[in-house]
Amino acid sequence: MTAAAPRTLGSYVRPHSARLWQGMGLLLITNALDKSIPWLLKDAVDALVSGALGRVAGSAALVGLLAAGMGVVRTVSRTTVFNVGRDVEFELRNDLLARLHQLGPSFFQRMPTGDTMSRAINDLAQVRVMVGFGLLNIVNSVFAYSLALALMLALSPELTLWAVAPLPLLVLVARLLGKQMFSRSQASQEALGALSSRVQEALAGVRLVRAFGAEAQQEALFEEANQNALQKNMGLVVLRGFTWPLMVGVASLGTLAVLFRGTAAVRNGTLTVGTLVAFLAYVESLKWPTMGLGYIMAVLQRGRASFNRVREILEAEPDISDSKCARSPRQAGALRVQGLNYAYAGRPVLQDVSFDLPAQSSLAIVGRTGSGKSTLAALLARILPTPAGSVFLDGDDVTQLKLRELRKTVGFAQQEAFLFSQTVAQNIGYALPETASEHARQRIRQAARAASVEDEIDELSDGWQTVVGERGVQLSGGQKQRVALARALLSEPRVLIMDDPLSAVDAKTEARILDSLEQAGKGRSFVLVTNRIAAAQRCEQILVLDAGKVVEQGDHATLLARGGLYASLSARQRLEEELGAL
Amino acid sequence: MNDVAKTAATTEDAARPPAAAPTSVAPTPAATARERSPDEPPTLRDLGLLKSLVPYLRPQWPMLVFSMCLVPISSLATLLQPYLVKHTLDSVLVQHSETAWASAMTWFTVALFVEFIVGFGETYAMQLAGQRSMADLRRDVFRHAQRMTIGYYDRTPIGRVLTRVTNDVDSLGEIFSSGAVMAVADIVTLLGVIGFMLALDYRLSLITFIALPPLGIAVEMIRRRAREAFRDIRARISELNSYLSEQVQGVQIVQAYGREAPSAAEYRTINDEHRQANYRSIRLDALLYSVVESVSMICVALVLWYASVRAGLVQSSAKQAAYIGTVVAFYQYIQRFFVPIRDLSTKYTVIQSGMAAAERVFGFLANQTVEPLDALDNSAPTAAVTPTTQHAEALRFSHVSFGYRPDDLVLKDVSWSARAGEHVAIVGATGAGKTTTISLLLRLYEHTAGEILVDGQNIRTLPRRKLRRLFSLVPQDVFLFAGTIAQNVAFSPTQVDETKVRHVLSRVGALDLVERRPGGIHARVEERGSNWSAGERQLVAFARALYRDAPFLVLDEATANIDSETEARLQAAVVELMRGRTAIVIAHRLSTIRQSDRILVFHRGQLAEQGTHEQLLQQGHLYAHLHRLQFGAE
Repeated sequence: MTAAAPRTLGSYVRPHSARLWQGMGLLLITNALDKSIPWLLKDAVDALVSGALGRVAGSAALVGLLAAGMGVVRTVSRTTVFNVGRDVEFELRNDLLARLHQLGPSFFQRMPTGDTMSRAINDLAQVRVMVGFGLLNIVNSVFAYSLALALMLALSPELTLWAVAPLPLLVLVARLLGKQMFSRSQASQEALGALSSRVQEALAGVRLVRAFGAEAQQEALFEEANQNALQKNMGLVVLRGFTWPLMVGVASLGTLAVLFRGTAAVRNGTLTVGTLVAFLAYVESLKWPTMGLGYIMAVLQRGRASFNRVREILEAEPDISDSKCARSPRQAGALRVQGLNYAYAGRPVLQDVSFDLPAQSSLAIVGRTGSGKSTLAALLARILPTPAGSVFLDGDDVTQLKLRELRKTVGFAQQEAFLFSQTVAQNIGYALPETASEHARQRIRQAARAASVEDEIDELSDGWQTVVGERGVQLSGGQKQRVALARALLSEPRVLIMDDPLSAVDAKTEARILDSLEQAGKGRSFVLVTNRIAAAQRCEQILVLDAGKVVEQGDHATLLARGGLYASLSARQRLEEELGAL
Repeated sequence: MNDVAKTAATTEDAARPPAAAPTSVAPTPAATARERSPDEPPTLRDLGLLKSLVPYLRPQWPMLVFSMCLVPISSLATLLQPYLVKHTLDSVLVQHSETAWASAMTWFTVALFVEFIVGFGETYAMQLAGQRSMADLRRDVFRHAQRMTIGYYDRTPIGRVLTRVTNDVDSLGEIFSSGAVMAVADIVTLLGVIGFMLALDYRLSLITFIALPPLGIAVEMIRRRAREAFRDIRARISELNSYLSEQVQGVQIVQAYGREAPSAAEYRTINDEHRQANYRSIRLDALLYSVVESVSMICVALVLWYASVRAGLVQSSAKQAAYIGTVVAFYQYIQRFFVPIRDLSTKYTVIQSGMAAAERVFGFLANQTVEPLDALDNSAPTAAVTPTTQHAEALRFSHVSFGYRPDDLVLKDVSWSARAGEHVAIVGATGAGKTTTISLLLRLYEHTAGEILVDGQNIRTLPRRKLRRLFSLVPQDVFLFAGTIAQNVAFSPTQVDETKVRHVLSRVGALDLVERRPGGIHARVEERGSNWSAGERQLVAFARALYRDAPFLVLDEATANIDSETEARLQAAVVELMRGRTAIVIAHRLSTIRQSDRILVFHRGQLAEQGTHEQLLQQGHLYAHLHRLQFGAE
């Protein structure tokens, strides 16, 4: 599923159609059993009237039997249909992650983590409710109605008409309220969203609010949103509160009509008491499906809206995907960048960047904050959508290479060291299929040593088995970066791109790491994005970026001699060092 | 001096009770699932939580009482219906009386209407009370959030606090909006049904009740296992969610290492465990539902059978006919009896998750990492204690020390003072203690040692709000909220003096920029000011400081790169801003530094040098270095 094939809900439900049919069949049996009980009631009551008490007891026994059978069938039918709902949820969930794995920065900038999560949690739940609960109730209502109506017609067509007389009214009410319900629940959701933004804002600006003593104003703003949410929510709640008794009332009108006409008919002798009793039972049994109608409508509407929200993720286009005739990369490790332009949101970030990195050589990219260094680094590794015909690995356009293999060949260590909530060993051995074997442990230790973090890991409370990441032990910024670097080193890529991965590490440690990298990395190409001249000057080539353009290029001595941006950055850092030493 | 430091340190500790930190700082869904075992009887703990709810429900008591009074009425109206059906049948079959029939039919109609109207009133009143008290609770949670110390916000992600105010209060409110709170009404209904049945025919009733003990045992058994399944589901779902959230946050890593497939497989495993737990819960739920439905029908069978037995005992056919009405009524009562039992598990679920949310909300409210309320804050009117700026020495830091952590001092024994109307620039490298100085001055943090005097008064003796009213702060990160420019300048949604807004905007030279936008000073500001440029936001922040018109200006200059035209505007605006005020400026612009009367050079938490620009340059120490670093080498 590389291309965003349109995913309909049907495509998720269809594979389970066999089980759904089975569930529906069982549902039909449940309803048949359920609806035969009033019929038996009719026989029993008529027998009671005529004094044939033996037949009454017989009917009673039969009712008991049917009830027991119904219990079994009902359990199975509900289980079957609800399980399908869970299965659809299961598959949707897997597909969501699979799609998210393919999506690039352009998607995640459009849809923040919170939004993505809310779709994956809340909306998915709504879809599941629609598929399981909604489907079951609709089908159940259809069966209940058709069976009950057929039986009622068989008993007395006239009384049936009376019984269903309030139905059109009910449908009308349900439709009117359904529309209202939809718009009101939307209004309520929006009000809650606005409230949430208000709180978010107040908390984000908490320092200023505090300094200005503006708590009262913030509270006034909040209270406005709070009252608005209350009002909108009450609008919804009142409607719901109104719907329920109304549905009960309208449904009971059927009982009233049947009772009214039925007793009259019994007096005339045109109807047996048993028939009337059965009728009342049928009308009563339709009460729940009828009253649930409005609720199911809401479930369906919500489910549909939610599925559309989920679909926005499922059908989002990945920025980067394998081209059809993708090749495997060659393994020399030479990079060539030629006339690379890159724009984000209409703003040019990189303009006409070109350089040549021979195999087994090193390049530093320096420049001010916002000069486009990180973007360039990410484009080399095709972490961002690299434009075709501008970045070449061993002579091959990277966009024509198999993505997975390209990323194995070109390693990337980020500045923002993201660690997963796993053990340190698992984090460093992220590229390995397993981290338990002796061989894997050796490699992990070696990588950690190269990144100068080995000793510190040994000192952690649970050593290499210490769980880190969001839900684990909090490492310092520098430790995180070094663990992340070890992770990048372990996979031994031919080209290693490091996007300022040591910004939170002190200069001495950085020098030590770079030393060990130079030793261990013989035969490997390096690209190092850095703010530190001391680190940059170790590289054979230095590329100086300013506002997305290459302004200087050469080795340390040449660039210093030129007296341009590089030289001024260098002078600045020397001053900083002097200042720090004071 | 040492003693002062000690006592100050202990008060600081006291302000952060260690017990409050772990419970309130990290109540992720996963943590709460672990905290609260569904096995324990929820009653005791929930009673405590309910007690915390009482203050919010109390103001709504008329509505609550009204609603509760309606419960028996609507129950009665509902339960009268089967009884009236019996009467209708009896009037035809037994009494053969037209008037009895007419009256029964009339009463039936009345009962229907009463059920409808009272049912609506009951729900409405309950919902109004519930939603209102939730809105009050929400307001209190927000208020509490506004009082938490800045230190708390340094440690706590905003999202977590946001969740307390929004989602958690929502789930608690679900108890009301989903009607779970009406479980109380269900008990009334159950008792009513029992009463009516006993009144109609106690023997038949007892026969029906035979089914109850086994049903009760069955329901309890199913529920206990369902609870286990439910706990499993909760644990799995929180696992699923945190896994997904981590995958989304680290998606670049996953992609860069080509780990999509193994991650998907791991996720699939958790997902499948979640599904299995749900299968179990579905099976139990379906079982519960079916058992209740079937048992109710078996009860009907029992009633039928016993009616035939009883009818056999009486000889007159008229009396036999009397059983028909009773049987029909019983049939309907039995159904009404079992519906609440059937829906019990749904309501139980809602109440459980509501209670879990209540635990988090009240846990947050109990977290006392707040700025203490100053006694004077709310009593005196605005202008009462405004210290005079005529005091010759407007500010004094005397041997002030501070650390965010006790063992790591950020400011070390810093002493300096400023005359009224003096313009003081603070310079220094990152981490030298510049911003901390401002924070201490405004008492956003409490300094751990020494004294800070404002107009001769120790700031510890001034109520925080009074103190802060003396300052106009322009922080480095400009904070604009969604609204209009005028509201942002006035920093108030309601009290906006438009003339003054225009005036201050023109003084900082931003009026023309603002008036170019549609709406002028009422132009929209999107969330976080995203539709205004960095320079424009700066100018608005300056205007805001002027509008506030406080005797002290505290300015933390932004370092952001700004185009030269805006830069010129900003320079002019800073001059305007400082005029006639005592100004403390963390300066990044040479022009600002030169315009100040005195420069304080901070280095590693200490005041290293002070003097005018020329003096310090001549000394050729730190400032000279800094100066070359920031302005010379480019």
